Amino acid sequence: MSQPKLNRRDFLKVVTVGAAAVGGAQAIRRAAASEPIPSGGRQWAMVIDQSLCNGCGYCILACRAHNDVPPEITWNPVLEAGQVAGKETYLPRPCMQCSHAPCVDVCPVKASTYRPDGIVMMDYDRCIGCRYCEVACPYGARSFNWKAFIEPNPVVPEWGQPEVERRPRGVVEKCTSCYQRIDRGLSLGMTPGVDPDASPACVVACPVNARLFGDLSDPNSNVSKLLQARPSYTLRADLGTGPRVYYLPAVEEYV
Amino acid sequence: MKTRLKISVWLFWLLGLGLLILLGLGAGVIVFWKGLSVTHLTDLVPWGLWITIDLSSIAVSAGAFSLCAAVYLLGLKRYQPVARTATFIGLIGYTMALLTLLMDIGRPDRFWHAVVYWNKHSLLWEVTMCITLYLTVLLLESLPIFAQFEWLKKRWPKLAGWMSRIHHYAPYLAVIGLGLSMLHQSSLGALYGVLKARPFWFRPDISVLFIISAVAGGMSLTVFASMLVARLSRRFRVDDTLLERISFFIGWTLVLYLYFRFWDALSMTYTYQPGRTEGLQLLTHGPLSFNFWVGEMMLGVVIPMVLLINRSTRENSFWRMLALLLVVGGVVAYRWDTNLSGLMIVLSYLPGEPVVEYTHYFPSLIEILSGAGVVAYGLLAFSLGVRYLSVVDHGAEDAEAEEMRKVKKVTAEVA
Repeated sequence: MSQPKLNRRDFLKVVTVGAAAVGGAQAIRRAAASEPIPSGGRQWAMVIDQSLCNGCGYCILACRAHNDVPPEITWNPVLEAGQVAGKETYLPRPCMQCSHAPCVDVCPVKASTYRPDGIVMMDYDRCIGCRYCEVACPYGARSFNWKAFIEPNPVVPEWGQPEVERRPRGVVEKCTSCYQRIDRGLSLGMTPGVDPDASPACVVACPVNARLFGDLSDPNSNVSKLLQARPSYTLRADLGTGPRVYYLPAVEEYV
Repeated sequence: MKTRLKISVWLFWLLGLGLLILLGLGAGVIVFWKGLSVTHLTDLVPWGLWITIDLSSIAVSAGAFSLCAAVYLLGLKRYQPVARTATFIGLIGYTMALLTLLMDIGRPDRFWHAVVYWNKHSLLWEVTMCITLYLTVLLLESLPIFAQFEWLKKRWPKLAGWMSRIHHYAPYLAVIGLGLSMLHQSSLGALYGVLKARPFWFRPDISVLFIISAVAGGMSLTVFASMLVARLSRRFRVDDTLLERISFFIGWTLVLYLYFRFWDALSMTYTYQPGRTEGLQLLTHGPLSFNFWVGEMMLGVVIPMVLLINRSTRENSFWRMLALLLVVGGVVAYRWDTNLSGLMIVLSYLPGEPVVEYTHYFPSLIEILSGAGVVAYGLLAFSLGVRYLSVVDHGAEDAEAEEMRKVKKVTAEVA
C-alpha cells in the first residue's frame, strides 16, 4: 500500500496552524517579558504637598512659558480636590511619568519612549498624530495640537523664556518634567531638585514650595526623605501604571 | 428606447457619485490645509466619524478573506465567482480605510512611520502592518480581475495573460489573507479592549465580537451587491443557489454573534464598576440607546437573523436583500457605538469616589462631507468594476477557465 501522502491543501493547513501557533506563543512570551526599566542610576520623581498648594496656578503659567505651550493646551492643570477642614484643596496634575506607561505601550511608531531616568519622552519628529496615546492615558495628560501655534506666546517673557522648540500642528504633546532643564543643569554640575536652574519650571515657580523634585534612587534626596516621613499616594494606583508623581494628602494638622 | 433610458440612469448615478467625490475632495483639501481643528474632535473624543468609517469599511471587506478561505482552503470551489466579487469589494474597502486614515492622522506626511519604526507592543502598529500587507495580498488577488479589462486584453495581451496567471497562486494568497485578516479584524477590537483607562472597553470580548460581526457584514455586503447588480442589469448573471447558501450561513453567524454579545453584556450588569456601568447605560438607556436597541440589535441582528434562517424569507430575494442590507447597517452601528461609548465617559483620576463625567460628539460638516466622499469613491469603484471588469458574473468562470486553457496550450506549444 502507498504511504499516506500530504496533499497541497493539507500541507497548507498544517503550515498555517503551525505558523499561527508559533507566532502566537512568541507574541505572548515577548509581551510577558517586556518589562520597562527601572535600572540603576537616577530616577526622577515629583512630590506634591496638597496641604501647601493654594491653587494659585503659577505653575501652569511657568510651564507654558518655559515649554512654549499654546494657550489652549495645559500640560499641568490644577484641579479642585474637595475641602479639608473647611479649606479648599487642590491637585496639580503634571504627566505622571509612569513606569508602566500605557502611552508607551500603545504608540504605533515608538514616538513615546522611556528615558533611563524614568522620564517618558515624546519624539515630536516621529509622532504621526493618531491620538491612540490620548485615548490610552488614564490621566488625560496628553494634548493634541489641533491647530498650529504661530502667535506670540502671551505668557512670554513675563513667566519665563521658551527652552524647547514649539511642536508642529498635528502631533500629541505632554509634560516632560522639563527634561531640558534637568539635562542642562546636570551638565553644569548642578543638582536637579536643589538648584532652581536644574529643576522643572513648575517646581521653581511654586510660591509655597508645594512641589519637590528629586532622585528617588538616592535615599538622602529631599523626595526620598519626605516620602519616608509622610504618608503619600499616587493617582489611580489600582491601574498599575506606576506613577512617579507622589501626592502628600491634605490632612487637618498640616492645613 | 430602453437602452437609452438605462444609459441615462447609469450616467445620472456616475454624476451623483462624482459630485459627492468632488465635495469630499474639497473637504479633504480643507482638512489638510487647516488641520484637524475643522473637525468636532477634541482631546476627550479624539476619534469619531472617520474612525467609524475605517472600522466599518474594513469590517465589511471581510467577505474577501472568509470566502477566499472557503474556496481555496475548505475546497468549496463552486463559490469561486462569489469570492471574486468579495475580493474586489475588499480591495475597495481597504483603500477606503487608508484614505480615511490619511485624513484622520495629524501628520499624513508621516503615514509610513509605522512601517519603519516598529513598536511591536502596539496593537495599532500590528493593525497597520497587517492592513498594509493584506492590501498587497488583495491587490495580487485582484490582478486576475483587472486582467478581464477588454482594453488591457487588446492593448497588452501578454500583460493581461501574466496577470490572470496569478490565479494559480490563489490558495497561497488565501492562506496569507486568512492569517492577516484573522489578526487585524479581531485586533481592531482588541485595540479598544486593551485600554485599562477605559473600563467599558477593557474586556477581552470586543476582539471576538469584531471578527464575528465582520465576517457576517462582509459576506452580507458581497451577497447584497451581487444580487443588486443582477437585478439592475440582465448582462450579469448570478447563481442564486450559491448566494442563498451563503445567506443561510450569515444567518447562523448572527446567532453566534448574538450569543457572544449577550454574555458579554450580561457580565457587565452584575456589579457597579465606575465607567463600565455607565458605558453600558449609555447603550441601554442613554444617548446611544436608539442606536443600540434599534440599529444594532433589532435591525442589525435579530430581524435579519430570522429573515435569513427562515427558509421562505431567505428564498424571497426582496426579504433576503433587505436582511443583508440590515446586517451591513448593524455592523456600522456597532462600530460607531463601540468607539463612542468608551470615549463619551470621562473617568476622574481624583482620589476617592471616582467621578464619571459625560461628554458628547457630533461630526462637523467637513467630517461628514469628506467621509461621504470616501464612501462615494467606494461605490464608484465598485460600479466601474461591475461594468468593465465583470466583478459580478457567475457565468464568467467558464470564460476564465477557457482563457486559462488557451494560455496553457500556447505555453505548451512554445515549449
